[in-house]
Amino acid sequence: MIQFENVSVRYPGAAEPALKKLNISIQNGEFVCVLGQSGAGKSTFIRCINGLQPITDGEIRWGYKPLSSMTSKEKLEVRRKTGMIFQHYNLIPRMSVIQNVLTGLFGYKKSYENLFGLFKPAERQLAIDTINQVELFVEPTRRVENLSGGQKQRVAIARALLQNPKVFLGDEPVASLDPGTADRIFQLLKETHDKRNLVTIINVHDVGLAKKFATRIIALKNGALFFDGVPDDFNHEMYTQLYNH
Amino acid sequence: MVWFKKSQYFVLLLLAVLVFFSARLTEFDLSKFKDFENMGDFLSKWFPMNTQNLPYLFQESLLTIAVAFLGSLFGLMIALPVSFLAAKNTAGYTYLYTIIRFFLSFLRSVPEFVFGLILLTTLGLGPFPAVIAIVLHNIGVLGKLIAELIEAADKGPMEAMSAVGTTRWIGNVFGILPQIWPNVLSQFFYRFEVAIRTSLILGLIGGGGIGQQLFIHFKTFQYQLVSVDVMLIMIIVILVDFTGGKIREKVI
Repeated sequence: MIQFENVSVRYPGAAEPALKKLNISIQNGEFVCVLGQSGAGKSTFIRCINGLQPITDGEIRWGYKPLSSMTSKEKLEVRRKTGMIFQHYNLIPRMSVIQNVLTGLFGYKKSYENLFGLFKPAERQLAIDTINQVELFVEPTRRVENLSGGQKQRVAIARALLQNPKVFLGDEPVASLDPGTADRIFQLLKETHDKRNLVTIINVHDVGLAKKFATRIIALKNGALFFDGVPDDFNHEMYTQLYNH
Repeated sequence: MVWFKKSQYFVLLLLAVLVFFSARLTEFDLSKFKDFENMGDFLSKWFPMNTQNLPYLFQESLLTIAVAFLGSLFGLMIALPVSFLAAKNTAGYTYLYTIIRFFLSFLRSVPEFVFGLILLTTLGLGPFPAVIAIVLHNIGVLGKLIAELIEAADKGPMEAMSAVGTTRWIGNVFGILPQIWPNVLSQFFYRFEVAIRTSLILGLIGGGGIGQQLFIHFKTFQYQLVSVDVMLIMIIVILVDFTGGKIREKVI
């Protein structure tokens, strides 16, 4: 489904590339957790998938089509099919829960409809249903700044789900949450993954969470592939090697 | 003296030299205040206030507020979209950013007074050229200030909007505008306050309003009316400051 062929990313002015010749293929139904130290290239890896981060070498294929040969319309289509959540939630401040969730439909609508907030009753209902689905029990008209971290991440998940995604990306989505909340958010991600038959790829620092929920673990070290396999094969020795210099 | 570096003593010396020469140029001399009784004599002529013309002067004050309001609001409405082209992170093309920035600094560099004088030739005397002069200057000022707010905005929401798959400009509007809105409003109300003072000055070249009244009363030695004008001006400025603060509180 998603294929990395010799993908490298080098940031301007950086001595070392952030990603070094990655070859990875991710299939339908996989729940992938990406491990690695800070600065190992996890974020860069995730952002390459939907083209938020341009690559400097190699090719990323969606199905058969390389991202680099897509028209800007096709690229928007890829973004739309890819839900994404972030460490700092990246919600739009001063807007309510339901307004934030509805922005998930932006990729499907015309610019003027987005600008003036012209949403059909069915679309609003979909937003409400999705808010319930992510077990966010707050007034949909509440402003997002006043929510707790876990609630904010649930808003972000609802927004991403409104895109009706095929692929779900998470860039350290639980790094700012307490362990209990982190576990419940992963639980939710796993449930939606199974229910909607998604491809899920998530960066995480907590190896315990990765081993508990992932069907596959990818570990990066200094921008290169260090481990790629089932969680059971990621043993203590691997752990030590990955996180020690 | 661990807080200071040697180079900072040099800065201090430079400042001292600059103060010395500036004071010479401006004939800065506090001892001149010894004749302050003159000021007292002069100010005593301002009272009692002559409130006979108050309804008319009140009307002129409304005109001043209207000139300042339109001047700053239309300025904001034009500056807001332009500022997205004047910010590095949203302009898209460096040459576009450079051109717009240059254009904005040109608008800022021309005083409203000069715009007013030029516009008089086609628009004639009256408040309308004053409005346009204030609009032009405010596009320059607000455009630059808002562009800087845009550049300093948190990238997160913008990134989220890219990930949603929306077009760039919708992403910019939703990713940035809600973040910077309270600051935009406070800039606007500050510019509104400044525009009131500017429209007073534009009264000198026939822009109308309480500023023109102040000018006329002053030139005709009607000091008991001057004091009424000054009082009205103070009330206007405090009123704008107060409502601006209240509105901003609501938005945050």
